[in-house]
This record gives sequence, structure tokens and C-alpha cells, in this order.
Amino acid sequence: MKKLAQQYGFLFLLLFSVTIHAQVKQEPWTESQLMATQELADKINEPGKDKPLIINIGPQAVIKGSVDVGPGKENTNIEKLDKTLSKVDKNRQVVIYCGCCPFEKCPNIRPAFNELKELGFTNAKLLNIPRNIKVDWIDKGYPVTE
Amino acid sequence: MLLFALVYGYSAAAQKNEIKVGIVAPEISLPTPQGKIVALSSLRGNLVLIDFWATWCAPCVQEQPELKKLYNTYNESLKKGKKLEIYGVSLDSKKPAWEKAIQKLDLKWTQVSDLKFWTSPVAQTYSLEGIPYNVLVDGNGYIVALNLHGKELENFVKASLEEK
Repeated sequence: MKKLAQQYGFLFLLLFSVTIHAQVKQEPWTESQLMATQELADKINEPGKDKPLIINIGPQAVIKGSVDVGPGKENTNIEKLDKTLSKVDKNRQVVIYCGCCPFEKCPNIRPAFNELKELGFTNAKLLNIPRNIKVDWIDKGYPVTE
Repeated sequence: MLLFALVYGYSAAAQKNEIKVGIVAPEISLPTPQGKIVALSSLRGNLVLIDFWATWCAPCVQEQPELKKLYNTYNESLKKGKKLEIYGVSLDSKKPAWEKAIQKLDLKWTQVSDLKFWTSPVAQTYSLEGIPYNVLVDGNGYIVALNLHGKELENFVKASLEEK
């Protein structure tokens, strides 16, 4: 009986880890394609530093110097994203952000990031905003649009 | 003395935005979709649910039919002068989306917004860290509960309006 429980336990663990693995794998970005908020804030604040192209794909462009494309869940905004990027060097660093909600609830980041990949941007980043743009950016005193 | 003043000043500043049960709900005064400024305090005398939401927040939108049910049940006064009012504060940034959602969801209660997304001063005043979030305010303007949803919210409203 004990052995059986152990076997089932193992099976459960195996299934559990496979599920987690599958969930992680489903995201269009990799861990290294996430950019920390502090890193972006430093890039914006440091004069003369090679600035990335920062694009808002959420409800409002909050980050200083960012281009406002609008929520990535809407096809018209993905078209706007294409247009914004049409003359941009594919090797330039492009950072997209939303910040409406935690990643798992955000409807905008996935379509937009997939589009960046499809367009062939080699240095595409997603700003790592675990909760929202208020808690993880505004409240930290990072640069916002006037 | 200076140190005392400094420390006192600092702690007062730190506590300024603490939203908790027992304090008077900070005033909110924002425009409706029609542009009319409606103050939270204008709803005094009722049990008021301040609902912080936005059309871009899926769980917030999902909750609206539940709030509607609650509103339909308890907006009718159960005892003299006491009923439920809802003060919907939206963190939307685009007016058309906000207006369309109110219409589509058929929300009859007060709706206000400065259309400033997470940069809205009200998000600072109420120390919002995520939405959906709500605050329940009694007839005298005091906060009586924070962030209740589903059955918990329903039970609280029921108990508040049926007591005594």
C-alpha cells in the first residue's frame, strides 16, 4: 500500500512538474528577454547612453520618452506597432511594456511580443512589471511622462 | 524639539495614505462620463461601495454583473434612509472604452474617472496596489471594510443593511 502511494506520489509529481514546465514554455519570451525596471530607469536617466526604443502597448504611455501604440490585444494597435517599427533597425533594442495588471492577467503583452519576434527584432525585451505600472514604476520614483 | 517635530512630521506623512477600517474615507471628487463632478461625500447616509475598476481589467469587468445583482437587491431601502450605493471609480485612460463598457454592462450607479490610468491621484490617495479593489463606507463616511468580493461582500452588505 505504502509502495503504491509512493508510486502515485511520484506520478503526481511528474505530471505536476510537466504541467508547470509546459506553462512556462508557453510564454513567447524567455527569461533573458525580460528587462528589470531598474535597468530601464537607469538607461533613461543616464545621459548619452544608447537608449532603447520604448513602446507602450498598454492603456497609457506612463514611461518617460515612450511611444504610445495602445493595448496590444487590439489588431489595429498591432498594425500601429508594425508601422512604428517599419523603419527601425532590427538590431536596435526595443522594450515594450503594459503594466495594467500582473503578467498572467495581461491581455496585451503576448500579442505584442509575438509581433516583435515575427518582425525579426533580435534585441526585443519585455519590461518586467510583476504587479502594475504604479507599484513597480511610479511608486519607485522612476521617470514618467510629464 | 526639532527632532520631535521631524519624527512626528515623518510619521504623520507616512500615515497619511494609510487606508484602514475606522478612518473617514478620503474624499474623491471626479467627473462622470457626462462631465458632471460627483463627490463621494454626496452619497453620505448610505452604505457606499467604492469600486475601483477599469475596462482593461478582466476580473473587474467580470465582477460587474455580481455588483449589479447586489445593487438591484440593496439599492431599494430595507429600512428608512439606509441603502446601498455604488461609486465606481475607473482607472481607464480612454473615454470611449469606459463609456461603451458602462453602456454594455448596463451599470446604473455613479461612475467617475479622471481617465489617468495608474497615474490617477486617486490611486495614490487610496494606496491602490491592484484592481479590482473596493472600500465600503458607512453612512457617516467611515471605512467599514476593505476589499470584499463574492459571498463575503454580499454577506457584509446584507448584515449592514439589515441590522437593528
